[in-house]
Parts: sequence; C-alpha cells; structure tokens
Amino acid sequence: MTLLRLQSVDGYYGGARILHGVSLEVGAGERVAILGRNGVGKTTVVNACLGIARVRAGQIAFQGQAQAPIRHFTAARAGIAVVPQGRRIVPGLTVRENLALGAAVGRSGKWNFESVCDLFPILRERADTPGTAMSGGQQQMLAIGRALMANPALLILDEPSEGLAPVIVDELAATLVRLAGEDTSILLIEQNFSLVHRVAQRYYVLSKGAVVDQGTVEGMSMADLKKHVAV
Amino acid sequence: MIQVINGLVYGSFLYVLAVGLVLIFGLRRVTNFAHGSFFMLGAYVSYAAAAHLGFWTGMIVSVAALAVFGALLDRFVFRPLSREEPIVTLLVTFGLLFVLEDAVRTIWGKDYISVSAPEALSGSVTLFGSQFPTYRLFVIAVAIAVALGLAVWLRSTKVGLYVRASSVDPVTTAMQGVDTDRLSALVVAIGTGLAGLSGTIAGPLMALSPSMGGYIIIDCFIVVVTGGLTSFTGAFVAALVIGQFHNLGLVYVPEVASVIPLLIMAAVLGLRPQGLAGPRK
Repeated sequence: MTLLRLQSVDGYYGGARILHGVSLEVGAGERVAILGRNGVGKTTVVNACLGIARVRAGQIAFQGQAQAPIRHFTAARAGIAVVPQGRRIVPGLTVRENLALGAAVGRSGKWNFESVCDLFPILRERADTPGTAMSGGQQQMLAIGRALMANPALLILDEPSEGLAPVIVDELAATLVRLAGEDTSILLIEQNFSLVHRVAQRYYVLSKGAVVDQGTVEGMSMADLKKHVAV
Repeated sequence: MIQVINGLVYGSFLYVLAVGLVLIFGLRRVTNFAHGSFFMLGAYVSYAAAAHLGFWTGMIVSVAALAVFGALLDRFVFRPLSREEPIVTLLVTFGLLFVLEDAVRTIWGKDYISVSAPEALSGSVTLFGSQFPTYRLFVIAVAIAVALGLAVWLRSTKVGLYVRASSVDPVTTAMQGVDTDRLSALVVAIGTGLAGLSGTIAGPLMALSPSMGGYIIIDCFIVVVTGGLTSFTGAFVAALVIGQFHNLGLVYVPEVASVIPLLIMAAVLGLRPQGLAGPRK
C-alpha cells in the first residue's frame, strides 16, 4: 500500500514556483529519504503535503486517496504525522500538553503518553515544564513524541538532526531505526548523510525543485550518497 | 471603600467584554473594532427580549443571538479575510461598527433607554455601613464566574488546550489534526456571546444608546493592550486596575478621569512592552 504519493507536483509559495513536477512515493513499512542542498525545495515537499505550499499542478495522495484541496490538518487525519523543521514546540504549553496536542487527531494505537515516555524517559521527568524550556535535543524528542502520539502510519521528519550534537544524532538514528522496526514508515528529509545512511532504504535527490536521482541506499557508501547530492 | 467596590463593578463588566476581545484576537489576530457595537447590540437584544420574556431569558437570548452572529461573522468575514493584510480586516470591523450602530438607531431610535434590574436583584445590601445595590454585586459575581469558567475550560479540556495552542501557533496546531477554522468559529462565537452578556449586565448600570459601544471600546482596548493582548489573566488584572482608576478618577478628578486609563496603559507598556502578562518577545 502506498501511504504517500506525489505525482508531477508543482508547488508554489504565492507566485513563486518552487517544485517542478516532483514525483515520489512512500509505501507501507518503507524508510525513504529526500536529499538535497539548502534551498532546493525539500521542505516545500512537506509543506505541499500540509497545504502550506500551494499545489497548482499534479496530485498528492494519502493512503491512496487523492487530496484536493489540502488543508493543514488533512495529512494528520490521513495518518501522516510531521516532525517539522525547527521542531515548532508550542510555547506556553508544558511537555505533557505538547504531547496531548499530538493526540488531537484521535487515532488509536500503541503510542500514548506512557509509551512515548518509555521511548524518551526525559519527557516523563520534565512532563510539567514548558516544552520550549528544554534543550535542542530534548525538544527534538518532544517533537518526535508529539508526532508519535498521533499513531501515524507515516512519520515525516524534516531535518531532524539540525542543530543537534553528533552524540544526539546517533541516538536519533537508533530511535528512527527502532520505530521503523515497529511498522512506522518514515520519510526523512535530511542533509546529514550519516543519518540517511543508517535509517533510509531508498532515497530521492532533489535539485532546483525537481527530482534528479533516486535509488536504494543498500550497498552504497557514504561517499556515494554525498556524490549524489553534489549533482 | 464603597468607591472601591464601584470600581470593581466597572472593572467586572469591562473584563467580561475585554476577555471576548482577547479570545478573538488570540485565534484570529483580528483587531475587532466592532466589539463595542456587539456589546451595544447585546444590550438592545436583551432589552427587547426581556420586554416579553423577562430579564433572565433576555440575557440567554442576547448571549445566544450574539454567539450565532459571531460564528457567522467568523465564517463569512474573518475566515475569508484571514489571508489579507490585517489592516483590511481592521477596516471591515470599523465599518461594521457604523453599520450596527445605524441598524440599532433605525430599529430602536436614538433616544436613551433605561433598563431596570431584575426584581430579585433590585434591592440593596449593607456594606461597610452603607447601602449598596445588590445588582452591582451580581455584576461582580458574573465576572468571577466567567473568569473561573474560562480558566477551567482552557486549562482542563481538550478544546481549551487546542485554543491555547492555536492562539500561539495555529499552523502547528492544525498539523496535529485540529480544524482551526472550526475552532476559531467557536472561539469568536464565545467572544461575541460574552460581548452580549456584558451588554446585558451593563443595561441596568448605564442608559442604552446606539453610541454606548463607542465609549466602552476605548477602555476595552486599553484593558486588552495593558493585559498583554492574548493573556486572559492579564486582561482580568488590567480590567480590575483600569476599573478602579476609572472610578476613583470620576469621583476625585473628573476633569482628567478619561485620560487616566491611557496613562496607566502608557506606564505599563513603558515598563513592560509586552503588557502585564503577555509573552516576552
């Protein structure tokens, strides 16, 4: 089953065309990465799925259902949770409240406050402190935990390693591999080759808003991956 | 001491009105100049309904009518204009103020109308050795009930959590599956319903006139800005402070009474640009 399919999508912010006929798909149980330099449109792919970037041509389908128009909450209700770039922890809410917000979509499954805190014990320890008062790494755990609270079929992570220390990125990679082993599909948008190499099975390379390469990660070296991004 | 309680009375109905404005600003980021005319409309609707159904039913009718009006306003005005520059919505609400004033003037005339307090509250009680109207104490009780009700709703319910989240980051809130448009309609309905409630309880305290909303909206904006724009606690404290100084000013320095709330706002913003309880930038 294909969880997410973009078919020849042109994505816009206002009158500015960012995505040029982007096609990609993520199937159930897959771990897929989108690679590319800064400013090539990686985040716009996510924003198109969230209705933040306007889709003027092409089609986006969640779980086989074509979506038009896409509103901000459409993806969540179709079982697609997003860990946005910059984490976007809601100011003024505690860790517990940020996690509760993640459950707003009301999908049942294995993830709840207790199971998320078992995965990230620091969230239980700091449950009643403001989410924005935590360190960058802890906020990333909170952002992933909030997304898991939706019990998603597909988890989209936009630059999750941004601003994190290498040791935290290692922990993040281990967590994502573990999540993938628990039937959560992953779409990873990253520039960190090491993270992509450890987590993803397939990749797409984006350049100037278009997919210029794709393939499988297995058997490739990190140097190969870097070469693909240097298109 | 009686003057202090009178100040509490003014601060109380100012709070009930201002907190509706805080709710609407928080969710829609709309500087709603028409809020004063919702207050005025609420007073007239309640007056008209009370003539046939009594004060209490009139109050319910007023709150319900203004809430429905608010939901429609959000659906057909605020939501379509949400992608426009803020000045566009501001001008539309400013125009709405004049439309509503003229509509009320056409229906009920421009003369002042007196409204009596309900019979059960028409007496007085002895406070600090003086007689004090029971109705005025009722106004304070309404404000306390509204403050407590909102606090429980916002802090203890799922919808309250979504309202707090959406007032800070509507995009992230929607990304979690919350339909923020429906949430905004609910919140605007509650905000305008509170304006109706405020207009209703103000009826027996001040004469009804089509321009009554224009006078109160200035103090209302001062309360909201002084409190910190999106802070419910800030609005509560600011309303009580402004109410006190407004009332004491009328008694002791009537020549400059109208300037005092503005001076308080300027002083607070000078010391804390984010207001009493607004988030620090």
